[in-house]
Amino acid sequence: MLNIILYFQVHQPHRLTHYRVLDIGQSNCYFNDDLDREIIDKISEKCYLRTNRLLLELINKFEGKFKIAYSLTGAFIEQLRQFRPDVLESFRALARTGQVEFLGETYYHSLAFLFDEAEFLEQIRLHSQLMRDEFDYSPVTFRNTELIYCDRIADLLAKLPQFKTILTEGADKVLHWRSPLYAYKTYRNRQLLLLKYYSLSDDIAFRFSDKHWAGWPLTVEKFAGWLEKLPLIEKQDRNLYLNLFMDYETFGEHQWEDTGIFEFLAHLPGQVLKNDFIGFCNPRDVTENINYEAAPLSIPQPISWADTERDLSAWLSNPMQHNAINTLHHVLAKVKRSGRKDLLDTTRRLSTSDLYYYMCTKWFNDGDVHKYFSPYSRPEDAYIYFVNVLADLEKRLEEEPALQ
Amino acid sequence: MRVLTLTWEFPPVITGGLGMACYGMVKALLKHGNEIDLVMPAKEPAYFPLRTAEDADNLLGVFRSLTKEGMAKAPANIEELRKFLSTPVGVYFTFGRSSRFRYTIDEIRKMNPFKRLFEILADQYYLFRQVRHYTDTALETASQLDFDIIHAHDWLTYPAAMILKKLTGRPFVAHIHATEFDRAGGAGDRRIHDIEYLGLESADRVIAVSAYTAKAINDKYLVSQAKTRVVHNAYTPLNSKNNHRRIFREPTILFLGRITLQKGPDYFLELANRVIQRENNVRFIMAGSGDMERQVLHRAAFLGLGTKFLAAGFLDRGQVENIFAAADIFVLPSVSEPFGIAPLEAMSHGAVAIISKNSGVAEIIQNAYKVDFWDIDQMTSIIIDLIRNPEKRREMSRRGKAEVANLQWDEPAKKILDIFTELQAEPVYA
Repeated sequence: MLNIILYFQVHQPHRLTHYRVLDIGQSNCYFNDDLDREIIDKISEKCYLRTNRLLLELINKFEGKFKIAYSLTGAFIEQLRQFRPDVLESFRALARTGQVEFLGETYYHSLAFLFDEAEFLEQIRLHSQLMRDEFDYSPVTFRNTELIYCDRIADLLAKLPQFKTILTEGADKVLHWRSPLYAYKTYRNRQLLLLKYYSLSDDIAFRFSDKHWAGWPLTVEKFAGWLEKLPLIEKQDRNLYLNLFMDYETFGEHQWEDTGIFEFLAHLPGQVLKNDFIGFCNPRDVTENINYEAAPLSIPQPISWADTERDLSAWLSNPMQHNAINTLHHVLAKVKRSGRKDLLDTTRRLSTSDLYYYMCTKWFNDGDVHKYFSPYSRPEDAYIYFVNVLADLEKRLEEEPALQ
Repeated sequence: MRVLTLTWEFPPVITGGLGMACYGMVKALLKHGNEIDLVMPAKEPAYFPLRTAEDADNLLGVFRSLTKEGMAKAPANIEELRKFLSTPVGVYFTFGRSSRFRYTIDEIRKMNPFKRLFEILADQYYLFRQVRHYTDTALETASQLDFDIIHAHDWLTYPAAMILKKLTGRPFVAHIHATEFDRAGGAGDRRIHDIEYLGLESADRVIAVSAYTAKAINDKYLVSQAKTRVVHNAYTPLNSKNNHRRIFREPTILFLGRITLQKGPDYFLELANRVIQRENNVRFIMAGSGDMERQVLHRAAFLGLGTKFLAAGFLDRGQVENIFAAADIFVLPSVSEPFGIAPLEAMSHGAVAIISKNSGVAEIIQNAYKVDFWDIDQMTSIIIDLIRNPEKRREMSRRGKAEVANLQWDEPAKKILDIFTELQAEPVYA
């Protein structure tokens, strides 16, 4: 049996304003709400509302045979609360079907695991609380920011035993001869590991509209045909898991409506379910339906789903990125020590990985992807504004009397 | 006397010290009863007839376009004016015959040394297209004006001045604020060197902003000492109403200038790093933009300076005043600085200045630290000393402020006027 696990990352960062040296001490408006609103409005119309409606129809139509999983970040939920309650409501409607799983992660979509373990766990707790508040759901599967994973994360998560399963990238450099279709275990056998099947995922997420790609145009018949070439009945009848993980914005935003992406999504479940040996399941179901002892997989160095390197270099490869994030964690520690609760959320927002992504100076194709997402014309600007904001936070810490 | 002043910068449309120097001397010349027609880069032929000292603060009010349509859509506010005076587009005027002119442009094109000049102006590189546009609009503008003397500031305006001298027979005074050798830190762009050489050669007098510069142009361009005069800049504060305030409680050390090799921003960064190692309670601000900005920022990040070393980016005039007000110590580590007006501004705002010995301003200022631009050790110990001795810092600040307050433009303006007057009595070889 081949189980398709469809998981979507849904995230929008709080973007920084062009905060200049002369704004220090004058303005506390670090975040560009207008830009956030503009972007979330645009994507709500192009992607969120429409895809949510479509997936709700599919879930109802297939009565339990079609399932999906989301990770919704804290920053995303905050922006929906502020600007698009209608979109938030449409996610709640999906939650009520019972077929949707919400994954746990860091509230701020951060890289905290590398710098501050207590902070990492605290951000996960905050996020789980948010899922309970919004969807009455307690996450049992963990997905770190941008599928970043290494053995250390499994150890840290031992302190949060509700998480039974972790998602990450099926990177060649860790799998070698192994197949991502099997479930694995983390290196100390604590949690299950599900690995993204990146070629088929990226066929939809990246290549769908690429006319120079040999697979273009991608139809559901063609895609289902590719799936049927995978081993559907494993020789020892072990359950296989096809992990199709992607950005939710694939639908309508990265792949525009006129590429036919919505028709593809609409007809995909019907087409693949024609085959009795293919079904859908959620990450949380794997602990139940796995019918073999999963093998442990050790991943000592962090991997991610970003860029061709599949490592942390999208966020941490040049000195600006390292200096920015080190300084942030330095300031965050000061804020915590000071007991200034009023500054805590603002400071934590600055841990959002996107802010370091904008500072990336890699070239060629990946650089273009970074540029597409960045609100700044140069990586240096992203660094300058970020450091200025930190300088203002330091100043407020030193000069304002603590609010009770 | 009526002066045709050709310049690339003037407040509020300004990028550096050149604009501030022009402002100061123009205002003082106006006070002495001279009339000035100011020509800046602009989209279309236009100029600013300045008749009283107040006019220097009111470009918008005196704006004159030379076309009816231009007057009809004259800029209504500073922002529009700035846009009008921004990067000129490449629309060229077919310059005809004016009753005031002795030749047509086509006749001049064939004469020496204009052949080489026109060759450079035909260059497709952006900067030379801008210069060509400026030359075209300046000639068009000047064809409708009467003037006794042409006063041109730096190489960007020399082509227009050279041609106008030929066309009108009026004397040409070349003011030199910086040479290509200063900007490039050695030999620079051949085309710019050629324009500087031709311009200085063609000029009837050359005004150098320092003895340092007078020596440089004599060494490098063989400009005869007989026609060279040194007139040091002074400093006139702008009439501005900005709120002046500190940014940080900690001692704040400022660099302000183009982030280019000439200004030594890399030395500033290295000394910042040294100081921060020894004295954590301090902030460094680097203001300006330029081709070394990336390099300096990446290195600052590499050194882990975090929020101790901030980049303010490019600042407009009002913001420059604000950042000076926030500084306790100003550092000008220029590799080569013909004058350097920024330290004077900083001192007038109460900052203690540390200036490169390779600067013109060091020739006239007493109450500042004069150092070798490469001597990071010495600059570090001066700064540490000033941080640890606030009393000494205040005393230096007070003395510096008083010294700059006495540096009025009246004296230098009188020297410039003497040069103009001298030329009126001489035949012009054009």
